[in-house]
Amino acid sequence: MTNVLLIIFAITLLYLGIAHRLLTYIKILALQGVLLFGIAFIELIEINAANLTFVLLETIVIKAIAIPLFLNYVMKRNRITRDTEPFLPNFVSLIIITLIIIATFILSNAIDDSRISKIYFVVALSTLFTGLYIIVTRHKIITHVMGYLVIENGVFILSLALGNEMPVLVNLGILLDVFASVFLLGIFVNRVGDVLKDVDVDQLKSLKD
Amino acid sequence: MISFILIILASLIFSGIIIRTKSIASGRKGPGIFQPLKDIIRLFKKGSVYSKTTSFIFQIAPSIYFASIIMAIMVIPLGEYKGIVSFEGDFVFFAYILGVGKFFSIISALDTGSSFEGMGASREALFSMFAEPAFFILMGSFALLTGHTSFQEIFASLHFGSYISYILGVLATVVLVMITMVENSRMPFDDPKTHLELTMVHEVMILDNSGFDLGLILHGTNLKFAMYGALIANLFMGSFPLYITIPLFFGMQMLFAIAVGLLESFTARFRMNHNAQYILTLSSVSLLIFLGVLLILGQFS
Repeated sequence: MTNVLLIIFAITLLYLGIAHRLLTYIKILALQGVLLFGIAFIELIEINAANLTFVLLETIVIKAIAIPLFLNYVMKRNRITRDTEPFLPNFVSLIIITLIIIATFILSNAIDDSRISKIYFVVALSTLFTGLYIIVTRHKIITHVMGYLVIENGVFILSLALGNEMPVLVNLGILLDVFASVFLLGIFVNRVGDVLKDVDVDQLKSLKD
Repeated sequence: MISFILIILASLIFSGIIIRTKSIASGRKGPGIFQPLKDIIRLFKKGSVYSKTTSFIFQIAPSIYFASIIMAIMVIPLGEYKGIVSFEGDFVFFAYILGVGKFFSIISALDTGSSFEGMGASREALFSMFAEPAFFILMGSFALLTGHTSFQEIFASLHFGSYISYILGVLATVVLVMITMVENSRMPFDDPKTHLELTMVHEVMILDNSGFDLGLILHGTNLKFAMYGALIANLFMGSFPLYITIPLFFGMQMLFAIAVGLLESFTARFRMNHNAQYILTLSSVSLLIFLGVLLILGQFS
C-alpha cells in the first residue's frame, strides 16, 4: 500500500513541474501532506502511541491543512500575483523532473545495499532534487518557500523509511517543518510581495565591479 | 471474433452517448442516442465531390484510414478470447497500423493545398508523436510484468492480487483515456465543436472531404473510441467467463462514454502551445509505471 502512495507522490512531482498557478502549488502541497499522513500511518504503526499520535497530527494538521491555508492567506494579504513565473518553460521543467526521477532510480540501483528500501530512496531523493529545481527556476520568494517545503517532504519520506528503528529521525524531519514555518512567518511579517523590494534576485545581474 | 463484433456494436452508440451526456450536463434534452449514426448513414448515401487540385491520394485516403482502424480492431482480444488476428508483438502492429491510417489522413490533408489543412496536419502529427511513447512504455511495462508480448496473453495473465497491480491498472486507465483524447482530437486537446479553422486540429483536416468519405472518417472516430474503450475494459477483465465479460464490456464502454462527455462538458481546452507538455506528461506517468514494474520484479541491477 505504501508503494501505491509513493508512486502517487512521484506523480504529484510531475504535476508540480507543469502547474501554472500558485494556487495549484498550494493544492499539491496539501495533497502531499495527506499522502505523507497515509505513508506515516502505515509505516510507523509499530512505534509507541504518543510519538505516533504526534507524527500523524503533525502531518495532517500542519502539512495538509495549516501551511496551505496560511500560504493562501499570505498570497491574498501580500497581493502576490497568481502566476508562478518560471525562468524556464514548463515543458523543459517536465523533462528535467522526469530525468531527475530516472537518474535517482539508476543511482539507487547502483548502490548495492540490501538494507535500503529502494522505492523510498527513489521517491525521497527525487523529491529533494525536484524541490531544489523549483527553488532554482522560479522567480518569486513564495515559490522558493514552497520549493523548500517540497524538499522538506522529501526528507520526511527518507526518515520514514527507517522510522521504525530510529523514531528520533522522524522527529528531526518534523523540526525542518518548524524551520520552514519561520520562513513563512518572515514573508508574512515583512509583507514581502512578489520579490523583496531591496534584494530582488534580478538585481544581482547588474552587479559589476 | 467476439471482441470484433462487440466493438462494432459499441461504436454504433458511442458518440450518441457522449452527445447525450453533454446535453444533459448543459441542461438540454439533446438528440437521441442514434442520431450520430443516422447522420453517418445519410452521409453514406451521398456522392463525393473532389476538388480539381487534389490527386488520387485524396480519394483513397479516407478508405485507407477506415481500413487501418478496422485492422487495428482485429487484434484486440476480449479477456482470454483472442481477436481475429493474434500473434507475438501485436501491440506494435496495433500502434503502427493506426500510424499508417494517420499518415494517409495527413498527406490527404496536405494534398488539398489548403494552408489551414496543412496547419492542422502538422499539429495532428506533433500530438500523435508525443502520445506514441506513452502507449509503448505502457504496453512494454505490461509485457515485462506478465512476460508475454501479445495483447491476448498480456490481458489474460494480468492478475489483480496485490495493491501495486491495482495502481498500475488505474494509472494505465488514466493514460489510455488521455491517449484516446489525443488520438481522436477531443476536448482537453482540441475542441470538436470549434468554428474557427485557426484553432482546429482534426476538423480542419477533413474540411474538403464530403459525402461517403466524410462518413467513413466520422465513423472511424466512433470506432477508435470503442477500440480504446475495449482496451481499457480488457485491463479489468482477466480470465472471467463470457457471461461476465460481455456485460462488463458494455458497462465499461458506457462508463467511458459518460466520462468523456463529462470531461468535455466541464473542462476548457488547453492553450495550443501548452498541449505538448500535457501530452508529454502521459509519457512521464507511463515511465513511472515502468519504474514501478521494475521495482516489483526487482529486475533492474
